[in-house]
Amino acid sequence: MQYRHVQVIDGKGGLRGIALDRHGQLYAAGDSEIKLFDASGRLRRRWSTSRPAWSVAVANDGAVYAGQLGQIEIFDGGGKLLNTWRDEKLLRRVTAIGFTGDSVLAGESADRAIRRFDRGGKFLNNIGKNNAVNGLLIPNGGVDFGVDAQGIIWAANPGKHRVERYTPGGELLGHIGRFDGIDPAGFTGCCNPTNVAIHDAIYTAEKAGPRVKAYDFSGKLQAVIATDLFDANCKNMDIAVDSRGRVYVVDTVKLAILVFEPVKV
Amino acid sequence: MSEDPTRRDLLGKVARGTVLAALGGAAGFLVKKAHGQIVWQVDVSRCINSRLGETAAEACNLCTTECVVALSAVRAVNEYFKCGRCNICPAYFNITSAVNEQGQPSEKLCPRDAIARKPIGKVDPEDPANNFYEYIIDEEKCDGCGKCVMKCKEPLGLGSITLRIRYDRCVNCNACAISLACPHNALVQLPIDQALQPAEVKRPG
Repeated sequence: MQYRHVQVIDGKGGLRGIALDRHGQLYAAGDSEIKLFDASGRLRRRWSTSRPAWSVAVANDGAVYAGQLGQIEIFDGGGKLLNTWRDEKLLRRVTAIGFTGDSVLAGESADRAIRRFDRGGKFLNNIGKNNAVNGLLIPNGGVDFGVDAQGIIWAANPGKHRVERYTPGGELLGHIGRFDGIDPAGFTGCCNPTNVAIHDAIYTAEKAGPRVKAYDFSGKLQAVIATDLFDANCKNMDIAVDSRGRVYVVDTVKLAILVFEPVKV
Repeated sequence: MSEDPTRRDLLGKVARGTVLAALGGAAGFLVKKAHGQIVWQVDVSRCINSRLGETAAEACNLCTTECVVALSAVRAVNEYFKCGRCNICPAYFNITSAVNEQGQPSEKLCPRDAIARKPIGKVDPEDPANNFYEYIIDEEKCDGCGKCVMKCKEPLGLGSITLRIRYDRCVNCNACAISLACPHNALVQLPIDQALQPAEVKRPG
């Protein structure tokens, strides 16, 4: 599989996390706001969050969840605030949000774990915490994960050079990935991959040097999507994938979203 | 008769005051230097090996080659509270060397083997990725070449290793040879209490 770079979307200021809704609209979190871009990359709407936004996700009902320090704010698609889940202990730094079944998942980087809540905001259990090192190993400072069609959670564990599979209840099912500084099928550096997205494949982003790849679900490398288009000092590059398989990646230094699409060879 | 000062009088007083202040400052500097209170130190925000945003392929080793002291007065120092204690540390391993049977790089980075590591806490023999390590720089071997500093820098590492001048070795030359050679003016003169601060590194445990 090969990919080509097709678009650059200006982040219009701060840029940390991105997400796509089922209509292909792109949401970006950064500074203290959420920005909404249409499928062509034009900025359509922006609204403020009460604290700096570190992550964003869109539920099937269109509700927009913004992860912040100490809280998650939930908006409707127009930017109207619907609810705030505030918990200074369980939600200290929310760097990723996702959904599985009727649960909401929050990547909580201060405690190196994924928190699972019901839709009302009631805490259910931790994911990635029940191990010898009491959490995910994230020297990069951010928890990130994706959820597959079966509701299985794929969490980046960069200190172990792995993407780990968990049930919603927190049971570790296995992992893909290994360290290798030469073979592109491996993850290099001290701690990679930093970011993960799940669609028809496992998409990963690495830092130093920045690299985006796709793996099949057995862990076999399918494609190196991009390497040299990003600023060399990028890290924690969030990824999202749309229904057409287009891959959106945040350049955290240039504050832009780079878009890649698969090419049929 | 008016006692008001003229403009010339005022300007004269200002000029005399400025000269006296400058002389006082210079005298103070010389007195401090004479007492050994002004010393050379590496400004890590200017040093190309540690300065954020620099992505040169090779580390600068002028601190090693230019210092008049044998084996240099500059050492790599690991600030333990910043260190990630990683299983695969790019400052310890040559991360582009072949992977060995343990899934780790087969070569070390330091050409003088000046970095040692020891596990922290209970070792997990089943899964080495569960282990944390303390990285210890042997200052008898280190010559301040900067290779580990470059590899520890963000975003590859966490920037816990920097170059520092050691005052049990530095002879505090008036015209430090490294400062004359450094293209980034990264050698600066500071009062010793400021110069020591980042190097006052407490090892864990």
